[in-house]
Amino acid sequence: MEDELYLENIDEFVTDQNRIVTYKWLSFTLGVHVNQAKQMLYDYVERKRKENSGAQLHVTYLVAGNLIQNGHICHKVAVVREDKLEAMKSKLAMIASVHVYSIQKAMLKDSGPLYNTDYDIVKTNLQNCSKFSAIQCAAAVPRTSAEVPQVQTSAQADSQTPNDTHAVNVPTVNGHVSSTAKQPSPQPKGIMGMFATKSASKSQDTNKETKPESKETTIATTVSSKTSPKGNAMSNFFGKAAMNKLKVNSECEQPKEEKTVAKPSVSVVEPKSPPSAAVEKPGKKMEPMKIQQKDKRSRAKRVDMSDNEGKEDENLKKKRRRIKRPQSDSSEDEDVSVSPTPQEATPPLPSPEPALKIELEPETTEASTGGKKRKRKRVLKSKTFVDDEGCMVTEKVYESESCSDSEEEFIKSKLPAAHSQSTAAVKKEPKEDRKGLKKGAATASKANKQVSIMGFFQKK
Amino acid sequence: MFSEQAAHTAQGLLAPPSAEASTFARVPVSTYTNCSQHFRLGERSFNRQYAHIYATRLIQMRPLLLERARQKWGSSIAVKKLCELQTAEKCCIVGTLFKSMQLQPSILREISEEHNLLPQPSRTKYIHQSDELILEDELQRIKLEGAVDIQKLVTGTILAIYGSEREDGKFVVEDHCFADLPRQLPRRGPSTDRFVLLVSGLGLGGGSGESFLAMQLLVDVVTGQLGAEGEQGCAAQISRVILAGNLLSQNTQNKDTINKAKYLTKKTQAASVEAVKMLDEILLQLSTSVPVDVMPGEFDPTNYTLPQQPLHHCMFPLAGAYSTLQLVTNPYQADIDGVRFLGTSGQNINDIFKYSSMEDHLEILEWTLHVGHLSPTAPDTLGCYPFYKTDPFIFTDCPHVYFCGNAPRFRSKELKGVDGQQVLLVTIPDFSATQTACLINLRNLTCQPVSFSGFSADEDEGEMEISH
Repeated sequence: MEDELYLENIDEFVTDQNRIVTYKWLSFTLGVHVNQAKQMLYDYVERKRKENSGAQLHVTYLVAGNLIQNGHICHKVAVVREDKLEAMKSKLAMIASVHVYSIQKAMLKDSGPLYNTDYDIVKTNLQNCSKFSAIQCAAAVPRTSAEVPQVQTSAQADSQTPNDTHAVNVPTVNGHVSSTAKQPSPQPKGIMGMFATKSASKSQDTNKETKPESKETTIATTVSSKTSPKGNAMSNFFGKAAMNKLKVNSECEQPKEEKTVAKPSVSVVEPKSPPSAAVEKPGKKMEPMKIQQKDKRSRAKRVDMSDNEGKEDENLKKKRRRIKRPQSDSSEDEDVSVSPTPQEATPPLPSPEPALKIELEPETTEASTGGKKRKRKRVLKSKTFVDDEGCMVTEKVYESESCSDSEEEFIKSKLPAAHSQSTAAVKKEPKEDRKGLKKGAATASKANKQVSIMGFFQKK
Repeated sequence: MFSEQAAHTAQGLLAPPSAEASTFARVPVSTYTNCSQHFRLGERSFNRQYAHIYATRLIQMRPLLLERARQKWGSSIAVKKLCELQTAEKCCIVGTLFKSMQLQPSILREISEEHNLLPQPSRTKYIHQSDELILEDELQRIKLEGAVDIQKLVTGTILAIYGSEREDGKFVVEDHCFADLPRQLPRRGPSTDRFVLLVSGLGLGGGSGESFLAMQLLVDVVTGQLGAEGEQGCAAQISRVILAGNLLSQNTQNKDTINKAKYLTKKTQAASVEAVKMLDEILLQLSTSVPVDVMPGEFDPTNYTLPQQPLHHCMFPLAGAYSTLQLVTNPYQADIDGVRFLGTSGQNINDIFKYSSMEDHLEILEWTLHVGHLSPTAPDTLGCYPFYKTDPFIFTDCPHVYFCGNAPRFRSKELKGVDGQQVLLVTIPDFSATQTACLINLRNLTCQPVSFSGFSADEDEGEMEISH
């Protein structure tokens, strides 16, 4: 009777859930070999039709075989509806295989839905897509993480050796080669190494959080030097919270004196402002709005992309943007808008948290009348304290509020790293809040509104 | 032929489930060597002029041509340089062809203010009745007339010409010859059936979903998910898959970011990002089951000039984890199971098509083999890296399988050379348009097209078949 289980399953899928059951979908869902799935489908169709000849079942078949066309033999593989099956079989000179492709309740006009079903099930099972296949390849072994950097370095070596042969005759090229060859090669290796270990990066995140902390002071002091962007670029890969800490710390020296207005939603954005002390307040006020817009955009982008590619694309962007950073020293509005664009992508990238915080905090300010959440009322507290960097800070604190909100947000967006982030979040908040306080309430509400509008768009 | 022995188990899966399902092991790769090192570029310097590549091309090919000329017209013919020519004296000259075409797009003409010309509309062919052929060697050039097919030949071809110079300074051609096929290494193919699948023009990101199901069927056949047991057993004999270019569609080449204002395009993601992600998933499915070689094409995110460098592995985080995925150059040369493959993604053939009267891609493919150069029109009309030491596009050994991707239709031919070479010429059709791929049997060097189709709302299914 266990054999009949699959019949019941298929029955449920087709009739109750009204799905299109393709052999591949069935194979992955029931965890059986593809050929068995095909046979199961056939068996189901036969039995159902025997029981109830008026059964509402539409079947598509796969037919493959040789077709004589224009004098030579062409191998044809086609998915056909049941009514066209015999016609197709008669067209073929030699039939290599016939089997059930899918079963569904409704008649399919075209094969688009079949493709969609298969695509979806493969997408959810990407890592073991050949598990139930009839062909197993011994050579298809994932590279170990140790091998991957070797591959990259050999690719580098490959590109370097023709280098040497070409560079013999032309002294200018030689010089060009020698100067550039050294620079890009260690750097890409390091950065490629980051890419290589991206699969382990999540676990590395927690380890490497300690590293950026040690780097923070050096980065803070050498903020305007060219090396710092690259240092930032490296440490950027280590994790969102770590990165935020980095940025936050690099900024803490500048805005020390500016503690006037509370603007928590802009706090995260603060780190992105260019490291020049010459940045004016109005300029800064303009920034957060633009930055938030771009923030939201980049967040949307990031949310859309899958984690892996997103990280890598944005890591690349990060690297580029880091180099841009010192140039924004002579910042006018335009520069400010240019440099924060790349920069602002960086903090929110691997970290949903700051972006989420931005969303959180508008809610907190806006819903001060709303009282949707009872925790909101605890928000406005004035606190004076000396933070890590020795900055004396007076601020209205949203601490407890944000914490719980952020947890809710995490649950909402179902981010797995939420809990690990929330601990980092607690630490970060005092700094963020301090920075947020600098902004005017007017700009705050404006920015909040903008942020929430962007949030609306991202819900799509 | 592929899956002929599958016939007897064709209907085997139209039955209740059997206890065990057979699994086939993919044929192991017995020997594989990637011979495309000379197409890889290291540090690139564009300070050089393109004259060097022509000079080295002539220097490298002159001895071959002289040998052919002596074979054809006798060893006693006089071989002269252009500067040594005497009028009315029959001799043989060797040089580079230049075809001056009035319809050839010229950037100088376009931007010249004197002429006030509008940009030329793009055409399929740029040949014209008034085109002229000029032969150039190291020092001089001379116009050619006579028994030479001006329309057929293209710039950059090196050839030997037999004739004499006339009083008015033009050279009257009596006969000409090319370098012809180089020598071929003996083929040590496998003794059992082994297949290599050639696909090109997947065209992801194209926006139209017609070829998606066909692509999925292709992947499923190769990975052994589709088909009855016999067919799966045959599919297990596919030892390699070569994707010959244009993995992304032309639609992903969105130039809006250049033309549109930045504030409008800041949010937009390049169309190629989504397409590359889709490609990564497809490559992952293939890589877990069969070795794959990915060649870039005209619309793929790599450099524009030939030789195109391999796509960067960071674009394929999922598939790149498997050692079966190989990212290779365009053109690509490799020894697979003892059979030498050489091929391009089709840019060279398409370019010759534009500037020659030859209509058939297979004919052009054969012609390049006779001329002894993969892409004679580079760097004149096709972008090319300014080589100066060697011209890597000159044929050194004759391949056993010579292919080009992104042709309008599938054609194949067995070519026999004068020295006993045997080459299988294959033009791989564009998959996004024809849903056809090619399967090459390494044992006997035969080629078979494989086409995939779904069904659509049209009643007549014949429309989905490959067009010939």
